[in-house]
Amino acid sequence: MHDWRLLVQQRLAGLLIEDGEATQVVEELAGHLEESYQSLLRDGLSEEIAARRALERVNDWQDLKRKLESSRNKETIVNKRVAQFWFPAFVTLALSMVLLAVIQIFGPSPWIGPMPAGRLRMAPVLPVYVSWLIFLPFIGALAAYLSRRAGGRTLAVFSSVVFPVFPYVAFFVIGLPLALILDDHVARNLTLPMFFMGLCAWVIFPAAALLAGGVPAHYFSGRLDARTTSDG
Amino acid sequence: MIGTGIKKGTAELAILSVLQDGPLHGYELSRRIEAQTKGSLSFSLAALYPMLYRMEQRRWIRGTWETSSNGRRRRCYRLTPQGKKKLQPLRAEWLELFSALRRLTKVSNA
Repeated sequence: MHDWRLLVQQRLAGLLIEDGEATQVVEELAGHLEESYQSLLRDGLSEEIAARRALERVNDWQDLKRKLESSRNKETIVNKRVAQFWFPAFVTLALSMVLLAVIQIFGPSPWIGPMPAGRLRMAPVLPVYVSWLIFLPFIGALAAYLSRRAGGRTLAVFSSVVFPVFPYVAFFVIGLPLALILDDHVARNLTLPMFFMGLCAWVIFPAAALLAGGVPAHYFSGRLDARTTSDG
Repeated sequence: MIGTGIKKGTAELAILSVLQDGPLHGYELSRRIEAQTKGSLSFSLAALYPMLYRMEQRRWIRGTWETSSNGRRRRCYRLTPQGKKKLQPLRAEWLELFSALRRLTKVSNA
């Protein structure tokens, strides 16, 4: 005996329409699948094949979810974008900035020790920076979870995961070239290795750390969804 | 096999036409359309229900929950007076389109 209602409920989890309406939609779709399944059983198919055939009426649950949302709720497109991208993105940005500030205030102090001059200029701030990098995967995982829970697709999930580095990307792509053109002082003091070091420190490494948490969280929650729905 | 674009355009007409014969729930509605068009028009859930909800918002059809003899709750859709009004011009539009295509492609009725 298949619990079609549970199955539909799980596959449409996070459906962004009013609660009462969502329950009705789930009940209606579950009823459709049940009737389809019963009809296939009457045609002489085995339970397993009938269930599989009935489920084939839905090729893509995410697509069904999107269409249901846009047909039931006019404001859903904006709500969906907020829930799937903007909310997790700003949570990630705020958390990563707060974390950096907290580490600077309460975390390990910068090293001041014997370092060969000219080598590893970043070394004194390494304890602060590395501590920050260590925590970033957790923030990335949280962003992926929030976005996925709201039904976000891969692009929305990963964009919200790496959102904290977007301001730095903007700085390196727009701000710094502009400063180079407009300010002689910057142009004289900026060297190519310094530029790449900055790019790595504020864009590439943090993005990699955020993705190190975001990618597994994204795929793990995807697998979990698939497993719970197939169990249903 | 009819292409996706045309199918989408004809879906509203198909739903309204079938509901003209009486109220039906989603599953039966899709079965009727499939049977009456000999499988040329078939609806996935992602096509049928969003279409029904949109038509309901436009007040062409109205869905009400009913309990069948076996105790199962189902949402039955019926044509509203506005839907009936919409059906006539829709039919005329499609007839006009098909006869225009027939003239254009010189396909005979035979």
